[in-house]
Amino acid sequence: MTLTTVAHHCARVGIGYRSAIAEWTRANLERFDVLEITVDHCINGGSAQRAEIFDLVGAIPLNAHGVGLSIGTDAPLDYRYLDAVANVVERLHAPTYSEHLAFTRVPGRDLANLLPLPRTEAVAEMVVAKVRAVMSRIPVPFLLENISYVFEWPDSRLSDAAFLSLICGETGAGLLLDVENLYLNATNHGFDAFAFLDDLSTGLVREVHMAGGTVVRDPRLAKPFLADSHSHPIPAETLGLLEYALARHAPATIVLERDDRLDAADEILGDIERIRACVDRWSKNGHGKATLGKETVASAG
Amino acid sequence: MARRPLAKRLLRRQARLLEYLTSGGAIFGDGRGVHLDAALQGIDPALLHIEARFSHEKRMEKIAAVFPRTLALLGADRDAIMREFVEACPPVDISRIENARQFRDFLTACWQRQPPAPRHLPDVTACELALAQVRIDGDGGLTVNAGRTDAGPPGIRRKQGVVLLSARFDVRPIFESGSEGASPMERKVPLAIAHHSGEPRIFELAPEVFDLLAALDRWVAVDELPNAGRLLADLAEAGLLEVRR
Repeated sequence: MTLTTVAHHCARVGIGYRSAIAEWTRANLERFDVLEITVDHCINGGSAQRAEIFDLVGAIPLNAHGVGLSIGTDAPLDYRYLDAVANVVERLHAPTYSEHLAFTRVPGRDLANLLPLPRTEAVAEMVVAKVRAVMSRIPVPFLLENISYVFEWPDSRLSDAAFLSLICGETGAGLLLDVENLYLNATNHGFDAFAFLDDLSTGLVREVHMAGGTVVRDPRLAKPFLADSHSHPIPAETLGLLEYALARHAPATIVLERDDRLDAADEILGDIERIRACVDRWSKNGHGKATLGKETVASAG
Repeated sequence: MARRPLAKRLLRRQARLLEYLTSGGAIFGDGRGVHLDAALQGIDPALLHIEARFSHEKRMEKIAAVFPRTLALLGADRDAIMREFVEACPPVDISRIENARQFRDFLTACWQRQPPAPRHLPDVTACELALAQVRIDGDGGLTVNAGRTDAGPPGIRRKQGVVLLSARFDVRPIFESGSEGASPMERKVPLAIAHHSGEPRIFELAPEVFDLLAALDRWVAVDELPNAGRLLADLAEAGLLEVRR
């Protein structure tokens, strides 16, 4: 497979900021190029947590990422929440704002967990209108993130890549590619993760998430289920997919998400080094001119 | 993109899905032999069970983070109570504190029907929720007026975020020793939970101080409280009062 040339630069590599390891993060700031801030922690968190976060402004570049928008709920957007997001984004001097292509709540009930949407053109159209509304309200580029999902709606007709591409193509939104989510979904639901990456238009991926999860074994399930727990080192397969993605896209940042076993600092720093090695390897490999096949990447992991 | 009608009223399907995922049947059942709502037909019930478990566990982690002592004191009743809670109180908010309030309200309603065991449990629960609330509110930077935007005439009021509790048992040893096994003495204890030296703390107050703080929920001129200078200084230092000079 020959790739189109991607104008490469060195992606910034960092972690998602978590207040449970705030002190450790500040002490190791020089190891990261960027921190990703969850805007909801600034909106709903306490004053001490907010102060900790806003103290980082100027010390290191900060990205803004949200979990509370529920853009996929088939109901009006919460504009009060969006205005609060806009305020946080401005205070953080964040270059982008990202959210999940998912829904978490309906009026009167909030699961606080990301759920998939039926992948149809009609649903895409509903989301497109919402994305446009978000973009009109938030003064920085908006990115949508692919989620990991446990189940699928039976009327989903579009592939994951086609659904994302349709919405991003219609709106000009970028993609925050969660490579671990892609790996989990491809494994759990039986599709080709490399084909997903091939199907995205070149340059669509503006930011990347990496993580490592766990395996859930349950007698009710036909096979073990890979869960997006953000608790363990990045699997080799996910790193292989990152390298494959870097052949096609030039994300500005690559962020490691870690929410559990946060005391395993060596694992976190180890993952950062493995991500940097991927980025370096790709940068040195001819700045997007190399021919990189699935087999090469799969074995490189 | 051509305009298309949103098939089968997506919101209704989403509402049905959340209703199902937050039900006891989906969380605690095994996903077998489940009769799914028509809106969910075609989705694998075993996967919905996994999704329901994941979401439930995340919610319970939030509640356990606020109420470690309460949950320990519930002992063998804990699982049954949690299951009842899930059925009675579906999640309505993403935040830890709102889920914790829901749980406290649920327990309070349970204790109306059946006396709490142990008897000091309501005081422990109230203190844990207050500590969580104070932790969120933080210090608030509200100690002394210095060029504040809401500047007004000199005065004092109870510091924003301070929680006052009138406990029936002296449960402070449980928090100080970290042992739920302590047997608190039954006596009326006026308590204040406030941020002090960077951490939420539980203070026992003299009854008259408790009443004074309870009354100070708005700015009051200091000269309305003659002969209280030393007391007010102590309360301000403890983080219980804010002073506008």
